[in-house]
Amino acid sequence: MHNQKLRKLGAVALMAVVVGAMTYVSQTSTSKLEAAQTEQSNALLTPWGEPDLQGIWSVELLVPLERPNGVTTEFYTEEQVAELDRERANGSVFGNHVRAERGSEADVAGAYNAVFTSQRPTGRRTGMVIDPPDGKVPPLTPEARARQTELFEYQAALLQNTVVCRDGLDGCIGGTYGPRSPLRDQQPPYYSTRNINRANGPEDRSLGERCMSGNLPNFRGGFTGIHYRIVQSPGAVTIFYDVGQGQGFNRVIPITDAPHLPAHVRQWWGDSRGRWEGDTLVVDVTNFSGKTEFRGARENLRLIERWRRTGPETLEVVSTLEDSTVWTRPWTVVQDFAKQPEAPNRIYYEPRCHEGNYGLPGLLIGSRAEDEAFAEGRGRDPGTRCIAGCASPEGRDPLALR
Amino acid sequence: MRNWNKGSMVGAVVATAIVSTVIAVTVTRTAGQSPETRPARTVDDKPNFSGIWQANNEAHWDLEAHAARAGAVMQEGVYPYDFAKVPAAPVLALGAAAGVPGSIGVVEGDGRIPYTPEAAAIKQENGENWIDRDPELKCYLPGIPRAMYMPYPFQIVQSTNKIHMAYAFSSTARTIHLDEVAGPPDYTYMGHSVGRWEGDTLVVDVTDFNGKNWFDRAGNFHSEALRLEERFTPISPDAIQYEVTIEDPNVFTRPWRISMPIYRRLESNMQLLEYRCMEFAEEFLYGHLRKEPLVTRWEGETIIVDITRKIPQGDALYDWYRK
Repeated sequence: MHNQKLRKLGAVALMAVVVGAMTYVSQTSTSKLEAAQTEQSNALLTPWGEPDLQGIWSVELLVPLERPNGVTTEFYTEEQVAELDRERANGSVFGNHVRAERGSEADVAGAYNAVFTSQRPTGRRTGMVIDPPDGKVPPLTPEARARQTELFEYQAALLQNTVVCRDGLDGCIGGTYGPRSPLRDQQPPYYSTRNINRANGPEDRSLGERCMSGNLPNFRGGFTGIHYRIVQSPGAVTIFYDVGQGQGFNRVIPITDAPHLPAHVRQWWGDSRGRWEGDTLVVDVTNFSGKTEFRGARENLRLIERWRRTGPETLEVVSTLEDSTVWTRPWTVVQDFAKQPEAPNRIYYEPRCHEGNYGLPGLLIGSRAEDEAFAEGRGRDPGTRCIAGCASPEGRDPLALR
Repeated sequence: MRNWNKGSMVGAVVATAIVSTVIAVTVTRTAGQSPETRPARTVDDKPNFSGIWQANNEAHWDLEAHAARAGAVMQEGVYPYDFAKVPAAPVLALGAAAGVPGSIGVVEGDGRIPYTPEAAAIKQENGENWIDRDPELKCYLPGIPRAMYMPYPFQIVQSTNKIHMAYAFSSTARTIHLDEVAGPPDYTYMGHSVGRWEGDTLVVDVTDFNGKNWFDRAGNFHSEALRLEERFTPISPDAIQYEVTIEDPNVFTRPWRISMPIYRRLESNMQLLEYRCMEFAEEFLYGHLRKEPLVTRWEGETIIVDITRKIPQGDALYDWYRK
């Protein structure tokens, strides 16, 4: 009995020692393995041994979201890139070659000219979408298509009595000219994140006009550019998104295997859970709010991101989007970022679109003045004017991501 | 006997393998707020400030020591004494939830903020015009030091050349630069933060303010000449003593200091949630410009709150946004 107890004790003690030793060994083995794997890129590890994603990152080359029609390769040749650069440099960017008739509404509309917008060189990639292999966003589900049509018809109805539709301009979005629609007195069929041709209140205006367009996923980088600042510590990656003309936001990705927030807790930027898989930060984002919108996807969106430092000056972010209520299959997008020098610190932490938003109250008070003038017989019906961004004579860069 | 011993040894080895695998996986994969996985010092031998923190005091109401009061805005009661004031209309309906709790204050020295006489008058006015003037109510960027003690958590992500602070309030953030970088091209709401270590204390100089912020909800304010020196000193792995020397010759007669502990949020599953108040503040900011008024009336059992908006004329409309 005594001997058996001693033996059991001995077994337990031995187990403890072996556990300790094996833990030590497995930890050092893991670190040794990591060290071996990344030996040639030690500059790309943080001091605590994780892949280093830190720095200021920007998208420097223009790549449209989808591969343009008629293009069948994943990459352009150097000659094709040079040709595209030439074409785009000579083409129209935001109306620098386009003139509307003097004195017309279209002549004074349009906020951005070629001096304001950045014209980035053409990238080698023919499109950001890498899956499906044809480089196009997958088709919408019938229910998503029906929802989009519903909102489109509402938007078109609010435009039909405008001079833009009378004159058959692009801003009429393919609608027809007609009398004032009774839909002007109704709300859109569901929460719209885009402009409608009305300014009864802030909800009639786009998220951008309300200074809330900074959302996930962030594939923009059209004319306003895209800058990230990434800082890491063990257990967290924080990314400041300087996007959308002062509509930036900060996002913290916890490195954890804790479950997501409960399903009823919904956020604009969803709920991120990160983990390291070798040299890649894999982030699973769920719990999106119904107020957010990405090409039709709202609260059912699931985003899986893979962040990887591909070289001293490069970062690749591969994002897979899933929403079976919107797209017939998941699709995947790649973004290539270039490291920016630290010393000039050229990233804008003041997302003060909101603090300086004189545009929105200006638009609202202007609409109230128009309503009053019309009611008193002093002015035209406000419904005949387009205030949904349709009157600007902008040309379109064929590759531009808007 | 021998067979039993062999069996038990095999069993022990197998159990060991399983347990050590579990330990290894746990240690490498879970990182968060729990003490076992959160070292008190970083790889570069500095106090580890990474994690989620929150001040736990009444400084966001009023930095100075004060007795509790009936409301953030008040009016004269039935007696002409200050202490007999009652909540004013904007906060009345919230009853005791809209009172201002008492505070031992966070201002060092005699506990009073050393305003110049002109600035003291402005501070008084600010307090009386809280509804129209406090940038927090508009969900404007809160500035430093206010963001550090607002009643919302914030996350510190401490790297070796940068220390980033992400605030839940309006998802604002600042990076404290431990390396040399160029300053901002313009004055800012959140300041430009440059840090250095003095032993175990993180010292941060914050400059380049645009002067549009307040320190609290009581109307304590500054100008664009504000300069701060912050000091973060660990009290324990889960508490930091946060001290700020505040200088603004346009507003104060001398530099002054505030000091307070900041506490780690110890919940094991703690994470920063959003407080995207830009949207919450829209009715407040733009409700008077709607075609049809939206928020006009609330009727309870004993209180009816009627809200009438008014539109200031001409350029005065925009003063609402500037203040």
